[in-house]
Amino acid sequence: MNLNLETDETSSALQPQIQMKTFRRLLAVIGGQKKLLIAGLLLIFLGTAAALSEPRLFGYAIDDAILPKDWLLLRNIGIFYLLVVCIRVSSMIAQAYLFEKLGQRVMQELRLALFAQLQALPVSTYDRNPVGRLITRVTNDISAMAEMFSAGFVTMIGNILIVIGTLVWLLVLDLRLGLIASAVFPVILITSAHFSRSLTTAYRNARTRLSALNAFLAENILGMKVVHLFNRQKIHVNRFMQINESLADAQISSVKVFAYFQPTLTWCSGIAVSLVIWFGGSRALEGSLKPGILVAFFSYVLAMFQPMREIVDKWTVFLSGMTAAERVFGILDWETEMPVAETAIEAVALSDVRGHIVFENVWFAYTTDKHGGEHWVLKDLSFEIKPGMQVGIVGHTGSGKTTLISLLLRFYEPQKGRILLDGKDLRDYDRRSLRASIGIVQQDVFLFSGSIEENLHLWKNPAPETRAKVEGAMKNLGASRHLLNLDERGSNLSTGERQILAFGRALASDPKIWIMDEATSNIDSESEERLNTALTEASKDRTLLMIAHRLATVRSADLILTLHKGVLVECGSHRELLEQNGFYSKLYRYQSVLEKEHLVEPELGTSTDL
Amino acid sequence: MPPEAASSGGDLTRGSAWRKFLDESALLRHYLWKYRKFVGYGLATLLLVDLLELAPPIFLKNSIDAVMGGKPRRILAWFALAYVLTSLIQGFCRYGWRIYLIRSSMLAGRDLRLKFSDHLFQLSASFYDKRRIGELMSLATNDVDAVRMAMGAGLLTMADAAFYIVTVPVVMVILSPQLTLLAFLPLPLIPWFVMRNEREIHTRFQSVQASFSKISAMAQENLNGIRITKAFAREDEQHHRIQKLGEEYVRLNLELAKIQSAFGPTLDFMMSLGLVILLFMGGRFVISDLVTLGTFVAFQRYIQKMVWPMTAIGLSLSYYQRSVASSIRMEEVLSLQSDVQESLSPAELPPAAFRTSKAAHPGPWKTAGAIEFRKFHFGFPGSANPVLRNIDLKIEAGQRVAFVGSIGAGKTALLGVLPRLYPVGDGMVHLDGVDINQWPLEELRRQIGYVGQEVFLFSESVLENVAYGLHEWTDAPKKLLATHQAMTLASVREDVKLLSHGEQTRLGERGVNLSGGQKQRLTLARALAKEPSVLILDDALSSVDVQTEETILSGLRARSGRNTELLAAHRISTVKDSDWIVVLADGGIGRQGTHSQLITEKNSLYWKFHEQQRLKDDLAEYLRDLEGTFS
Repeated sequence: MNLNLETDETSSALQPQIQMKTFRRLLAVIGGQKKLLIAGLLLIFLGTAAALSEPRLFGYAIDDAILPKDWLLLRNIGIFYLLVVCIRVSSMIAQAYLFEKLGQRVMQELRLALFAQLQALPVSTYDRNPVGRLITRVTNDISAMAEMFSAGFVTMIGNILIVIGTLVWLLVLDLRLGLIASAVFPVILITSAHFSRSLTTAYRNARTRLSALNAFLAENILGMKVVHLFNRQKIHVNRFMQINESLADAQISSVKVFAYFQPTLTWCSGIAVSLVIWFGGSRALEGSLKPGILVAFFSYVLAMFQPMREIVDKWTVFLSGMTAAERVFGILDWETEMPVAETAIEAVALSDVRGHIVFENVWFAYTTDKHGGEHWVLKDLSFEIKPGMQVGIVGHTGSGKTTLISLLLRFYEPQKGRILLDGKDLRDYDRRSLRASIGIVQQDVFLFSGSIEENLHLWKNPAPETRAKVEGAMKNLGASRHLLNLDERGSNLSTGERQILAFGRALASDPKIWIMDEATSNIDSESEERLNTALTEASKDRTLLMIAHRLATVRSADLILTLHKGVLVECGSHRELLEQNGFYSKLYRYQSVLEKEHLVEPELGTSTDL
Repeated sequence: MPPEAASSGGDLTRGSAWRKFLDESALLRHYLWKYRKFVGYGLATLLLVDLLELAPPIFLKNSIDAVMGGKPRRILAWFALAYVLTSLIQGFCRYGWRIYLIRSSMLAGRDLRLKFSDHLFQLSASFYDKRRIGELMSLATNDVDAVRMAMGAGLLTMADAAFYIVTVPVVMVILSPQLTLLAFLPLPLIPWFVMRNEREIHTRFQSVQASFSKISAMAQENLNGIRITKAFAREDEQHHRIQKLGEEYVRLNLELAKIQSAFGPTLDFMMSLGLVILLFMGGRFVISDLVTLGTFVAFQRYIQKMVWPMTAIGLSLSYYQRSVASSIRMEEVLSLQSDVQESLSPAELPPAAFRTSKAAHPGPWKTAGAIEFRKFHFGFPGSANPVLRNIDLKIEAGQRVAFVGSIGAGKTALLGVLPRLYPVGDGMVHLDGVDINQWPLEELRRQIGYVGQEVFLFSESVLENVAYGLHEWTDAPKKLLATHQAMTLASVREDVKLLSHGEQTRLGERGVNLSGGQKQRLTLARALAKEPSVLILDDALSSVDVQTEETILSGLRARSGRNTELLAAHRISTVKDSDWIVVLADGGIGRQGTHSQLITEKNSLYWKFHEQQRLKDDLAEYLRDLEGTFS
């Protein structure tokens, strides 16, 4: 698993064989579009054949019609020429379209594969990779590949065919003159190889410096206040200037690579044509070469160089497309959440969950350090929640409350111990149906940019009675008219409205287990009360887990679990815990001092950073 | 800037169109003018290449005519030689224009990037509160590139096409006016065709772009909300969404491809019609001895040369349009002024005595640090509700003053205005009797060490980060001494020693990750290293444990050269030893006094804070004992 995206470019520069692997994989993907590919290639052949025959027709016209003054034949060749032009042009149009279609289809396929992959990645991958970087893969890299297909691919194949075809024609038309005219060809091959190597280096160099510049600028935009507070604007602008200068240098040196190569092509073509003028012209004077063939030779020799220029111009498109492909394939190789089939032979689909949850000596750590030691977030956690219980979970930041919920949703798997739901190991359940039977309401309600309706039902079409139930519940919660206008956009909702929406979202999926993750910490006490009433009603006879730092919220729970640094410190009802005069009761007294002023800190810090 | 020609005619619409053109191309013209020498050389060499490009068909024509006329062989040698020489010069010139034109565009790109980034460094905090980083980065990279491309590839294609269009027909007319006329018969179709399709291509291209942004936005949103998608098991629905958007994107792309893939070949076809006409009519002309076979061959070459300029015109137009769109976006930011500006007549600070002796090495002058708020109002820019109203407060030099209050009481606003990150009204805040708006901005910020709640460290070494505020010409030993002292004061030196490379350890995304408390203490050390006169700690030690905080605070009191200290904190332990404590409530000052004065009044806000702190300490102690029992 390669998670270090930043080094991808440099590593591929060092390992050219990776590129071959990427290339083969790309070909395999293209191979999936056989019909389009074959049709496109046939059209390229047709177009190339037509293009190659045009100068020859001019030669015929000169030798067989114009010089013998044959009017009729001239007319016929003219008509045939028109026909050939039409074939060439239509095949050009058709192949450009077909290859665009091919490219778009391949891209769509890759985009979907990549998207599916990103969705299937375990949540831990997202902890380690900034979302921004992953998005670049779905968007920019896929576009770079699309450009390689639509622009680079056709030009490459078409132009290579023209060059080869021309060479063959030259030799067929007149072997001796053909050999003379193509004498410069090896020189071109050698310089081209040299050129592509220097350009690859220069191009990668420029890319590396560009990412350095971007990184510098992004960091400074984020830390601009600090830059200002320390009067460092000038120094940073100067440093930017240096990085900027080195980027410009790198860009200019890739310009130079082009600049050196172009004249070589010009000179080679000049030499080739003048060789034809001298040798061809002499033989035409002797009468051993027809003038029409001589004219055709001029056309062919000149036509050979244009495709080469185009190949050169498209080389960078090709390079960035390949780099992008390499990165996209890299992500496709990452490990995903295990498909059910591999983890549980008889994955149980959940239809009727009772909500009996048991944690048995659960240990969990997000990361393991270099020496294989774990930083335990949950330590030997054991408790039992009976079906239909209301359970409060209390503790400081970092005590493991939210982690516990993540384990229940199987975002992560515990390293030791097991979690049982209705008597079966959680790992025996199908992930999706497990999650579908749990309803979660979070503190920060995530809104998608769609309508309120879409945010509520998350693109599922609910049964009419569900729809009515959800809307009724939201109305009871005091949802404003704005919120009940389901076609409206979901943005610009207030915190309270978001909370109601989140409740409705969970209610719509009719969960067998309810989870409130600090859901009421940002709203006023009146709304909180209403939400709690609604929740009590919705979760009747169902298991309800409430994470809260305002202890008043969990006072009426059947069971309260208090966590500290991943250890279950106390558990019991509110009254039992107060009597214990331990963590809970002290926390409760502490909070009640400022309760009335609503001055409880949003979250208790752990106050330790050791 | 080039001399701006005033709109000539009385025609209003034409005048305003001209004005519009001048406005939208201002950036582009600025750089063309700046690099006029390079651009000039580039265009000159390009012109030379294009002029020389006219010669080879003539050489071919004469060679053919020589062959047909049975001229001596050596004439052919001369033509072959002329051909090689022409291509030799052309080769050099091709090198020339690439180097000159493309390089000048790279240089312009470099300048524009610098200009834009430099401007970003001038804009104040309120600008950054509003803008997303992605948008700014895109302006500094993609939009700069669009302008650069117009100047390089755009200008090149346009000039190249223009030269060809002007010169090639001239030579053709000289060779045979009738044949030229005939060969150019399909020509008028081309501008008509280009105009007709260019607009449609542009429209379709824009819908493709819009569709692409939708996919990006959707992908971004989906990845940000991945936990919700997973928790509600909506992977299939999301997949279906992106599939639909993707199909729409493919459809729009194919709509575009329908025109675009036909565009180039159709132009090619129109020029090829010229060749067909040449074959028909030119052949007849040769048969009737109106033109030579050489002329016929030369025409074949010239007509083929006209294909490229026809396509190039459309291409250069689209380069230009893209650069205009980007210029407009960039100008929008470039025209913004910072809302924190240097005063027009700043106070003469530091005093003359500290400035004259060594102009290059300003002495370590420290102001006394007396602060006064007079009828101070503050609201964040763009927000209607003031956070603070009518604050009157005098802080004597050398005092430690603490501010307490619930969240949103305005502590951050009150302390944050001192270094002028946000604009302040005139006459409201004074430092040592001088309105902070009258202080030279740089000197004001040099005197103030501000440590806020947000921790931001640069991805450089620990040492570089702590020495961040030191003057760039501070010599190395002095720098080391100052940073060591600062790190010791901030109780972070021992932590740093334990890092893999000590104080040379690199921080940030690719470096080590420090804990929240370590970062806070490094940030404090950074502020201390520059030995500020006024030290402001805005809840800056919230992640540091109580004992360490106490060590730091008493260390700060004992340090030499100490001046004024302002603290804002949630913990009573942080503030109780201050000389003066101000309780902020409801956007104004509640009570103030020393800890022992404030604590006497039962059930006051401060008392409650204190009580809460006591209970919290009790809790913390209990937990510490408890942790001892964990295995």
